[in-house]
Amino acid sequence: MMIGASISRWTMTYFAAALAWLFVALALMIAGVGYPAADIASADTLVLVHAVCIGWLSLAMCGALFQFVPVLVAKPLFSEKSALPALILLVVGLCALIAGFLSLGGRLPPALWLLPLGAVLLVAGFGLVVVDLGLTAWLRPTGPARFVLAGLASLVATAVFGSVFAFALGGWAGSFGDAVLASGVPLHAIAGLGGWLTLTAMGVSYRLLSMFMLAPDPDDRRTKVTLIAGALAVAVTVIGGALAIDLASGLNVVLSAAAVLGLLCAALYGRDVAAIFRTRKRRQLELNMRMATLSFASLGATAFLGVALVAAGAFSTHLGAFAFLAIFGWLSGLVLAKLYKIVAFLTWLETYGPVMGRAPTPRVQDLVAEGRATKWFAIYYLSVWAGALSLLAAEPFAFQITASAMTVGAVGVVSEIVRIRRLTDVESGLRLPAGAVAPCLLFARN
Amino acid sequence: MTAELADRVRDALRVVIDPELGENIVDLGFIYDIVVDAGAVRITMTATTPGCPATGFLREGAQAAASAVPGVVHADVTMTFEPAWTPDMIEPEVKGSLGFAAVN
Repeated sequence: MMIGASISRWTMTYFAAALAWLFVALALMIAGVGYPAADIASADTLVLVHAVCIGWLSLAMCGALFQFVPVLVAKPLFSEKSALPALILLVVGLCALIAGFLSLGGRLPPALWLLPLGAVLLVAGFGLVVVDLGLTAWLRPTGPARFVLAGLASLVATAVFGSVFAFALGGWAGSFGDAVLASGVPLHAIAGLGGWLTLTAMGVSYRLLSMFMLAPDPDDRRTKVTLIAGALAVAVTVIGGALAIDLASGLNVVLSAAAVLGLLCAALYGRDVAAIFRTRKRRQLELNMRMATLSFASLGATAFLGVALVAAGAFSTHLGAFAFLAIFGWLSGLVLAKLYKIVAFLTWLETYGPVMGRAPTPRVQDLVAEGRATKWFAIYYLSVWAGALSLLAAEPFAFQITASAMTVGAVGVVSEIVRIRRLTDVESGLRLPAGAVAPCLLFARN
Repeated sequence: MTAELADRVRDALRVVIDPELGENIVDLGFIYDIVVDAGAVRITMTATTPGCPATGFLREGAQAAASAVPGVVHADVTMTFEPAWTPDMIEPEVKGSLGFAAVN
């Protein structure tokens, strides 16, 4: 068994790039670009959705996985060399894709070839990530690592659909591409949000929660059932959906089955997380854990909203509010809360790990100022929930105001993260013991 | 003399803290054994999470702290996860300050 994973050199770079894209997305929402000011299927909405899902969430997730997959499997990363090239390919690919969408919507001169170009670059970037992390997780595919493998498989499915769409929009995919583009968007979205981002976030959260709260790892048999429900939901969507498109039989049956399985997965995940909290040895919850519970509550609220909208026959009308709550309440809330912890932990390791035993060192908690950070998280979550309500009430202007408030919260959280990275809140006597080197903001000197 | 050196090594190890729990590895009960043979010290220790990057630094920190003790010629640190660490191993007076339940 490996004793102690090494510090991932480019994880901070991924986090910084992800946060930059979060601010791009928030700026678009404040400016009224994309849904709800424009139609949910408009080119402007595509710009917004991909800035959030690839730029913000996927980059943050990849950065976290380069550090945590080795911890999950207690084996070194298959290759340390692919993280930076993958990041460059992903960022350049996303810029090309977004420029293609802007061209599609008439905001840039016609250049639809940018869409397939963006797709190729993104597939190359995600391909490097999938191979590197997949081969690492495959070495010991137990517990949370299985969720990561299912998430990576979903990422492949998402990228395949997305590439077909991009080539179809570029006019290079023939009648097959046009048929997939006409009905395959829900499959692409479910594989991406439900498979890649949600299953991976669930798997990583099991380990992070039990590690930081000193709880026993969750029962493997139980989490396996949770994973089977989630993976089946994605598999039914992708395979059943592809067959349904081929047979031109409509997607209702497939999407209904996926929804039931997805709900079951969310409920089982709630049970698993509750068990971790119940069996934790560390009674006092740190800020990141308290804020993560708001993200779990948002996941529950998303599931409840979905059921209520389906029951009221209003799901398609309010799809935007449902997706918004899933993306910003559940996924973005969790990622922001965990970034706050992960950055502090990795910064501590990088700065003080090498001098341990030679000089007194501060604790990880000495790097953070939770009292000050709490209000920024509170502003963020309250404005996300208000934003979801304003979407349900079809009030685009109110939504722009809530997006501004979300930005205030996010700027506050990021300023706290920068202070952590710069060791600003560490008592001066302990800040840099002899032999310790202050960390760089954007990458680790490992 | 041997017991006294072991005690001094144990004291020196208190400079090494678990970054998450914020207490030193001796009071946390991470040090399972210290064997002294002439100037050679063999330490057997544990940590909370095997794959965690902090675990490697804890071992190196223990080695550095023990090596600096006068009279120690060579320090060897072995990391083990058998038996697995539990909060029961924490010194009672430290346990209260960590916010752990009394018995877990």
